[in-house]
Amino acid sequence: MELNDLLKLYRAMVLLRRFDEMCLELKWKDLIMNGFHPYAGEEAVAVGACSVLRHDDVVISNHRPQGHALAKGCSARAMFCEMLGRRGGVSQGIGGPMQFIDSDKGFFCGSIVGSGMSVSTGVGLAMQREGRRRVCACFFGDGASNTGSFHEALNLAAIWTLPVVFILENNQYGEAMPVREFVSAHPISLRAKAYGLDGVTVDGNDVEVVASVVEAGVDKCRHGGGPAFIEAVTYRFEGHYGGDPQWTYRSREEVARWRAKCPLVRLRSRLIDSGVSEDRLRAIDEQVSQDLYSDEAWALEQPFPTVEQATSHVMIPLNQD
Amino acid sequence: MQEITFSEAIRQAYQEEMRSDPAVYLIGEDIGRWGNLFGASRGLLEEFGPAQVKDAPISEAAIAGCAVGSAVMGMRPIAEIMYVDFISIAMDQIVNHACKYHQLSNGQVRVPVVFRTQGGVGMRNSSQHSQSLENWFVNVPGLITVMPSTPHDVKGLLKSAVRNDNPVVFIEHKSLYFTKGSVPDGEYLVPLGVADVKREGRDVTVIATSWMVLHALKAADRLAEQGVDCEVVDPRTLWPLDKKTLVDSVLKTRHCVVVTEAPAEGGWSGEAASVISEACFENLAAPVKRVCGMRTGVPYGKIEKLVVPNEDWIVDAVHELLA
Repeated sequence: MELNDLLKLYRAMVLLRRFDEMCLELKWKDLIMNGFHPYAGEEAVAVGACSVLRHDDVVISNHRPQGHALAKGCSARAMFCEMLGRRGGVSQGIGGPMQFIDSDKGFFCGSIVGSGMSVSTGVGLAMQREGRRRVCACFFGDGASNTGSFHEALNLAAIWTLPVVFILENNQYGEAMPVREFVSAHPISLRAKAYGLDGVTVDGNDVEVVASVVEAGVDKCRHGGGPAFIEAVTYRFEGHYGGDPQWTYRSREEVARWRAKCPLVRLRSRLIDSGVSEDRLRAIDEQVSQDLYSDEAWALEQPFPTVEQATSHVMIPLNQD
Repeated sequence: MQEITFSEAIRQAYQEEMRSDPAVYLIGEDIGRWGNLFGASRGLLEEFGPAQVKDAPISEAAIAGCAVGSAVMGMRPIAEIMYVDFISIAMDQIVNHACKYHQLSNGQVRVPVVFRTQGGVGMRNSSQHSQSLENWFVNVPGLITVMPSTPHDVKGLLKSAVRNDNPVVFIEHKSLYFTKGSVPDGEYLVPLGVADVKREGRDVTVIATSWMVLHALKAADRLAEQGVDCEVVDPRTLWPLDKKTLVDSVLKTRHCVVVTEAPAEGGWSGEAASVISEACFENLAAPVKRVCGMRTGVPYGKIEKLVVPNEDWIVDAVHELLA
């Protein structure tokens, strides 16, 4: 990958990491009121995958969506507002951290594990019909691969060759349940093979690897050869949610082992090996942080929605059809 | 006017809507090759092809999810769930997705999906193929629930549902498909959210849904011979409810019976009774009475018809009310 492109990915990954860290702080202060699921440690998946998408492609995400949303281009300012439940959020503050929609950016997410996968087939069906070579990228976790929606969606997408790139983020745990005990097939991409797909399993902490394998899947889908299935093996550094009793299901040693494989640290050393100076990277880090502090400060000034605003679009009145 | 079956009325609605708008498409089990269990989509695969008439695998979650995803992208799916009993598999996509996106997007995203399905007794298929589950949907904000009773209404309501931008659950009754009725030759719509007085009367209002409307009309004939003049009101859309038509009728008759095939407890029949009680309390000559299906799994075979209301149950209830 060209150095400039790699630097762009680096900047995006720093953005996701800093955003996540700041959100966790806001959660400790109870300013993020609930529902925040940290993404730190998995940035290479969102950033690598979204780097090969077009603006008019659609992303369907899950209950841990903030990384995917930022990587798809949702503004950090609107994302802070959404996390804080303020007007100005992508869903005007009524969705919160795990269910919001940014229709301009083609971004949807929801908090029912696995169910976005069946919705993604319909997005793919409409794209197949319109013939503009758009694709739908659907992010979900290892836990989702145990739901009925996963299996129904994979089969449907396969029999109708839908342009959906299924991206499984295997972060080793479905809430507190370890993949090694709660998923029957290893690697999980074997399950895609059962539906006639070329499921692949890759190092999800290597942003270049993710970008290149997702790009191949996206290309295939744009040319009628969909769907594609990619399992990205990664790890979440924080608990399932901020403050979960994580030491009941994993050890400090295990977390430390994975932190040593941090996708951001790896990309950083690769850049330095390629001749980028520490100063240049530090400047990127600082710029991202400064921008985010200003976005956060702005978001904290925004009002909460009134009950009337929050409930004004439950349904379209019948006489306005 | 033409005299056609309920099933043919659905087929005509499909055909007209698909001819006028290529964004309309059908997705469901056995809707193409078989043309639906009751012939409601017969011949449509031949006319519109497999891109617009999509036979789907037995995957209700995927059918519903696919419908939702395509609807937000501008298509207008009619997703058929073969039996309402199977809709339990699709509830997540209907309740958590179809009914949430419009509000979550601050009104930007529309989800124009019709979930068409059928319920009730009539095929002697026991408790997992014979239920009346409409009450589940009435309680979900953002969802329209429709239950037509005649060929005229099913055609006009289905066309309105397809053109509506909200998600709609459209529940037919399996005992109605081969009933016949008069339907205009040309195109027409029946508006959602508007009740219909199926028979005018002075003495008692019988509010009945779906197949129960037919029983109520028969009961009304018999009661007329006994000197009791029944008004039969069919809400057609359970939610949004046309409260005015229901209330106006009861203000006139001062007596009200609500009839549903679904069990009474926690259901729409109680909602209707509340609406009437709240609006007509001082005019009611007696408390609102409900005639509903027994709180039981529907048993196999011919006995199925003995656990849901019929003409006799309604006649008895009206006599008790007027006593």
